[in-house]
Amino acid sequence: MPKVTYVDHEGHASDVDVEVGDNVMHGAVYNGIEGITGECGGGLSCATCHCYIDADWVDTVGAPSSQAEEELLESAAAEVRPSSRLSCQIEMTSALDGLVVHMPEHQF
Amino acid sequence: MPIDAANPVPPSFPRHVGLDQVPDHVPAELIRQSGLTFGPEFLAGPHDFMAALHEKQPPIYYDVSPMGNMWHLTKHEDALFGLRHPDIFSNEGATPFPRDPNDYFYFIPIEIDPPHHRKYRNIVDPVFSPKGVLKLEELIRRRSNDLIDEIEAKVAAGGTCEFTEDFGRPLPVSVFLDIMGLPQAMRDTFVEWAMELLHSNDRAIMGQAMAKIGAYLKEAIAEKKANPDDGVVSLIAHAEPDGVPLSEKEIFGFVCFLFIGGLDTVFATLNNIWLWLAQNPEQRQEIIDRPQDIDRIVEELLRRWSVTFSGRVLDKDYEMRGVQMKKGDRVTFILPACNFDPEVFPDPKTVDFDRPRKTILAFTVGVHSCMGGHLARLEVKIALQEWLRRVPQFELQPGTHIEYRPGGVIGPEAVPLVW
Repeated sequence: MPKVTYVDHEGHASDVDVEVGDNVMHGAVYNGIEGITGECGGGLSCATCHCYIDADWVDTVGAPSSQAEEELLESAAAEVRPSSRLSCQIEMTSALDGLVVHMPEHQF
Repeated sequence: MPIDAANPVPPSFPRHVGLDQVPDHVPAELIRQSGLTFGPEFLAGPHDFMAALHEKQPPIYYDVSPMGNMWHLTKHEDALFGLRHPDIFSNEGATPFPRDPNDYFYFIPIEIDPPHHRKYRNIVDPVFSPKGVLKLEELIRRRSNDLIDEIEAKVAAGGTCEFTEDFGRPLPVSVFLDIMGLPQAMRDTFVEWAMELLHSNDRAIMGQAMAKIGAYLKEAIAEKKANPDDGVVSLIAHAEPDGVPLSEKEIFGFVCFLFIGGLDTVFATLNNIWLWLAQNPEQRQEIIDRPQDIDRIVEELLRRWSVTFSGRVLDKDYEMRGVQMKKGDRVTFILPACNFDPEVFPDPKTVDFDRPRKTILAFTVGVHSCMGGHLARLEVKIALQEWLRRVPQFELQPGTHIEYRPGGVIGPEAVPLVW
């Protein structure tokens, strides 16, 4: 199973296996990783699964996948950067094995 | 203080009802008797009433009502904050549904705050996630078309279509039965129970309905325990979070909550939207003309026609906007009013499918965000697609006077349609 590394705002890293086809928000929520809330469950309606894609992965992961994600990112509580994504919109693939995401200090 | 879900006890803090039971810390200038959910002004046009709260009332006021006194909060920002802080605004004991104190149970997971909340959500999340509900798409489409078949046959035979009874009520009941793994033959019986429980406004009838529903669900749980299948009743009955099976009371409280949570809300939402569609042919045509935008159309309609509220109880003293609230005070976040907050949604009563995406409160926010939200979105979307494909032109029966139901889920009583 591909692995994702979640790095919290203080730099602590946790590795989690995330099934292909599942999303990066679920990987955190189902494994007790604090720092990604995902309160709406992936419905593109809350902006509480905001993360920053590690510089090495930005090109592979790509930009927001829809206009709705782009618009909703503007409601995120923490600073929005060019590497910002909503993690519920990143579907796990084998190409993303080893992905590193950084989590903001606040989700709301 | 987290409660023990396996050993339920009724909440012990007091209920205040009426003007002579206003606590001392409530300033006189913030006391209102708004009539929310039952007053004549509210019932004449509940969404207009809630939109106007931003002009007519302070953002936080203390509402005195025969249903119970509580703080009302109407700002979008305050709702996001309050609903995201269950340590301050607790759900424990905040659900008003009556239960037998001698055989008490919690509605799960709505009455369970963190840290135990996630344990229950994780059991059913795969079914109710955006991806999980997509598996139901074909089924919902078929159920919708079956109902439209029945309606068209009735209309062809000289009958009339009353939307709430012919479509709004049976669609979510049908889908609920499919998801739970219960037989479709129970559809009309469940419809009847739901009506008695939620709309009889008679506590004796409500109690009897609750007893019938309870007895049926208990039997269904026992049956699924013996013969597992892939429905949600079976999933819950066999769940073992952290290796520990759920207790009888947890299983019952969970299944029972799904029944109450999912039926009336989708029902009322569909009824509100169809009433609006019948009166707004141009925007109806816009929906037909923009099939690629159906998701944002559904989101905007859910914002404009939100149907319910979030109740909480203060778990500590807390001050907001200079208003001092005290531990034990009850609070209602007026979600439809929050969705009309002009600071977040300019020109809030206008249905505008091109609004930028913002957090809407139709499904509340925070850990207790509606787990059925994705299912509800899908049901509304498919209902719109299938209905407008088959019945693109329709209007309200001439001479119809629309009446709203009093109570905690807002929608018109009857929506007779002609075409």
